[in-house]
Amino acid sequence: MAAVALIPVDVRARLANLRLRARRGGGGDGLGQHQSRSRGAGLEFAQYRAYEPGDEPRRIDWKLYARSDRYFVRESERDSPLTLWLVIDASASMGQADGVRPSWRKLDAAKAIAACAIELAVRQGDRFGLVALGTGGSSLIAAHAGPRHRGRCVLELERLECGGTWPAEAVLRPMWERVLPSSLVLVLSDFFDESAAELALRFAAARREVLTVQMLSAEERDFPFAGGHRFVDPESASERRVEAAAVRADYLERFAAARARLARRFAASGVRHTEYFLDDVPDLPLRQFFGTAADRGRA
Amino acid sequence: MSFALLAPLGLAALVALALPLLIHLVRRIELRTTPFAALRWISERIRPRRRLRFERPWLLLLRLALLSLLALLLARPVINESTSMKPAWVVVAPGSALADARAAVSIANADWRWLAPGFPAIETPAPDEPVPAASLLRELDAELPQATKLAIVVPEELSGLDGERPALSHELQWHVVPGRMPDEKLASSRDARVLAVRYAPSSEPSIRYLRAAVVALAAQGDEYVLDAQAQQAALDGATRQLVWLGAELPPPIRRWIEAGGTAIVDHGAQRDGAPVWRDADGKVLARARPLGRGRLVSLANALAPETLPALLEPDFPRHLHDLLQGEPRAPTRAPARAMQPAHASSGTPGIVRPSAAKPLDPWLALLIAALVLAERMVATRSREPA
Repeated sequence: MAAVALIPVDVRARLANLRLRARRGGGGDGLGQHQSRSRGAGLEFAQYRAYEPGDEPRRIDWKLYARSDRYFVRESERDSPLTLWLVIDASASMGQADGVRPSWRKLDAAKAIAACAIELAVRQGDRFGLVALGTGGSSLIAAHAGPRHRGRCVLELERLECGGTWPAEAVLRPMWERVLPSSLVLVLSDFFDESAAELALRFAAARREVLTVQMLSAEERDFPFAGGHRFVDPESASERRVEAAAVRADYLERFAAARARLARRFAASGVRHTEYFLDDVPDLPLRQFFGTAADRGRA
Repeated sequence: MSFALLAPLGLAALVALALPLLIHLVRRIELRTTPFAALRWISERIRPRRRLRFERPWLLLLRLALLSLLALLLARPVINESTSMKPAWVVVAPGSALADARAAVSIANADWRWLAPGFPAIETPAPDEPVPAASLLRELDAELPQATKLAIVVPEELSGLDGERPALSHELQWHVVPGRMPDEKLASSRDARVLAVRYAPSSEPSIRYLRAAVVALAAQGDEYVLDAQAQQAALDGATRQLVWLGAELPPPIRRWIEAGGTAIVDHGAQRDGAPVWRDADGKVLARARPLGRGRLVSLANALAPETLPALLEPDFPRHLHDLLQGEPRAPTRAPARAMQPAHASSGTPGIVRPSAAKPLDPWLALLIAALVLAERMVATRSREPA
């Protein structure tokens, strides 16, 4: 199967103990594995479960808390399916790769992460859709569930190439019609373009649950250059002619500040944000979002 | 052993060293191009430094060495080879007794030499040929370093001198010991001299004028024995003078002149040489020039009264005698005490006398050729993997 090429074998093995989880319950129809906001006659109580960090406070049974002085979470039988949207930045800057591994671009890493997320969604019976934002407008595959849809998405992932810049606002408009509220949106981008961050924030403001992964190369993190360099921007014609060793400290400081600023903005808007570097394993961002507390602590 | 430059201005060519330096430097300014999306966080203020690092340093070194050697070649380096490092030289003229010389000179640790061509060591037997003493003294003065002390031991009677009292730049001691320098054997003017005449058949009438001249000279006290024969006749071994009448000189006669003979040829084939005989009007009648160790005197015309009216003049025998004997020789002998060399201020300081200096040009040229080869090899080899 084609997805095998996107997901390394060891990564696929590690996916087994991961589950996609949304903080907020989805409002979709049908049976799924996610907590639902729907209440009604058919809603059947299943069990109380001890509160874990990360559970929504509103799901705590406050009456039980009044009685027992402990937090318990009500779990109901009827869980609704989740809709996962994968938004992949396919602008030219995603073609960046490390000098030590030129074939492993940011876009390849983003494809691998997306493929992993699709695997998880298929396993759980969730719906998933794919949006790629690149030079030739955005390609959009509507959300569906099932292995056949996985094949369609993987095919699209394999075909995907980066180039150009972040698309204009008009191109993004159809996406707003498809990506419904309460769906889980995973944005894979380097967020060097302000529009990408704005898009994620607007999704978050519009009641979508947004997860952002900032795709960065190890060179951008460490700046291991020395000597005279001419740095060129893949998206614009601008360039910098600098003595690499001399600007390193300044660059690292400013870049770290920019990353911290972005993380603060996302955190303030309730967006779960993480960074992925090209020398990490591709399932690491998913593990940080959906893994156990031990996984998150490792990050 | 010292090193000197004959044309130090040639070192100005070292300016050319800047050329390879520039070539290797200019290529260094190129920057590596790196695609980098996080461009906006790179500070623009720090421009790339132009470091003084050179590409392919070995090739650069080779090229610099090559240019330096070329500049050195232009400066004409010479190496001054003095044969001895001893601080003093004692030169003994042949003819002096060695024991007397050792008694006269009191310089310790000196290099003892004979005053002879090449200055052989004193251990070799004394040269018995006559030596050009004055010329050798000047050569010695030119070749020895200025600091070398010089003592010269000469016998009482010197020979091999020339017209001038030698003037030497060295401070020297002049020791005169009893003795006499070997001298050239001079033929006594009293001995009868053979005047050979070799004539072509057409020139036979001229013989009688020569006969008459010989008779006239004999009356004045200069005796000649005339040996007049046809051209084919061989020359007697003792013959030193020859009158050649007729055609061109054949090679055996020319070799005979070069071995030390004096020949008068008519039909003045040669236009060069110093005029030695003029008539009353100042017209040149004979020219003489050296040929090997001998002399060749060319008469302007055939030896006949029609072409050479001076033949009939009463002073012809005397002129013939002068033509045969040449100019009187400068005196070459003198008492040694009178010939003590004068002190001359040394030549321009720093000028190396070319006779003592050995040019290094061939070795430099070889070295340069080797360097050119090496430079080409390095330049082409390291281009291949690129």
